[in-house]
Amino acid sequence: MSSKYYKAYKLDEALMKLKENPENSNLIAGGTDIVIEIKNKKIKPDFIIDISDLKELKDISIEEDNIELGSMVTFTQLENEDFPKNLKALSEAAHSVGSPQIRNKGTIGGNICNGSPAADLVPPLLALNSIVTLESTRGKREIALEDVFLDKGKTVLEIDEILTKIRFKNLKENEFLSFSKLGLRNALAISRICTSVYVKVQDKKIENIRIANGALGRYGIREKNIEDKLIGMPLNKKTIEYGKEEINKEIKERLKGRSSMEFKSEAIKGTLHKSLFNALNYFLDRKVGVING
Amino acid sequence: MAKFNINGKEYEIEIDGKDRLIDLLRDKLHLTGTKEGCGEGECGACTVLIDGEIADSCLVLAFQCIDKNIVTIEGIGNDEELDPSQQAFIENGAVQCGFCIPGMVLSSKAIIDKYEYPTEEQIKIGISGNLCRCTGYNKMIESVKRAAEIKRERSVKNG
Repeated sequence: MSSKYYKAYKLDEALMKLKENPENSNLIAGGTDIVIEIKNKKIKPDFIIDISDLKELKDISIEEDNIELGSMVTFTQLENEDFPKNLKALSEAAHSVGSPQIRNKGTIGGNICNGSPAADLVPPLLALNSIVTLESTRGKREIALEDVFLDKGKTVLEIDEILTKIRFKNLKENEFLSFSKLGLRNALAISRICTSVYVKVQDKKIENIRIANGALGRYGIREKNIEDKLIGMPLNKKTIEYGKEEINKEIKERLKGRSSMEFKSEAIKGTLHKSLFNALNYFLDRKVGVING
Repeated sequence: MAKFNINGKEYEIEIDGKDRLIDLLRDKLHLTGTKEGCGEGECGACTVLIDGEIADSCLVLAFQCIDKNIVTIEGIGNDEELDPSQQAFIENGAVQCGFCIPGMVLSSKAIIDKYEYPTEEQIKIGISGNLCRCTGYNKMIESVKRAAEIKRERSVKNG
């Protein structure tokens, strides 16, 4: 069966086309996941709309208070962006994805909307408490990234909506984002586990912390139980050890009965250790709010 | 009809929305220099340049490339002079079975187009999306360095 196609250059055009052909039409961004599904006939679209060249969705805007990423920003763009030191983890996460070929094509919006449990940009964007904008011809709405995922491969996006922007608060000097990933090889590894942590220290204590993991559930998730336990504690080696033990217990419980439980509950200690240690080192270097490691 | 610019030549051709770029290249235009290996972006054998950047032609739909400049292995070098990357790979004996070479050479070209003096690290990252099961990569890494050198020599010669 043949499929029609439309290559959009403006958001309005894409939204109109999507509205006119809501049934069995598919959006394509970088294509690095969906093209394989089309080839394997898992998806049989009648109508395919390419949104990867929507100019208005390809910018990264860094302002003092907020950072906004267009959903069609590629991994390569993110990798090459000169983020401040406490946000470099975003570039690291982008660099950890696939190969140069895939990073040149894959987009942030695609990474989110595919709803893969192992999507590497989701944990850092969750840790940053990101808000996403969803647009349709009916208007636009904003929603926390955390509330986007319903299940593996399923999101809250309506049939006529496009995820257009991702926004989060720019970090202050006493805030830090880190990212750590375990894959099977350097290039092209799909995450076995990835962890991203946002930490804010104030008066020598962890004032706020957000921990997000990938590949440990049906989609990227926050570890709020662990966060609650760490808030108010000093950021030092002892606290890091405590956090590792707590997350180990949490993951053991969650993956009970699965063959991956043994490995993942142990491996998570490593990715959390690395993430928290990076944060600790950053604050020690800056001499902000940390006592003696 | 869809319009494509491939290796500097304009093509106008009927395509289906589901056709991948590699299907267009190999099956419709008979540009069979581009190889299909895994068909899922792991091996890089199908690498082409899209607007100067490497991409896996098995992971891009053909219609997404309308209005873009596509370069395949057929589009670099000519009968008088090989592309610096082709020249260097031959000089160094960096080719064994040859299946990965069209993609590998285009990744090499992208590296030396970006960096005049590529470091070993930049080369390793630049070819990290291209698998080769024969060479063990050392001769390829040397070849990319040599290709950058050839490119510099030629630009001096041609002023």
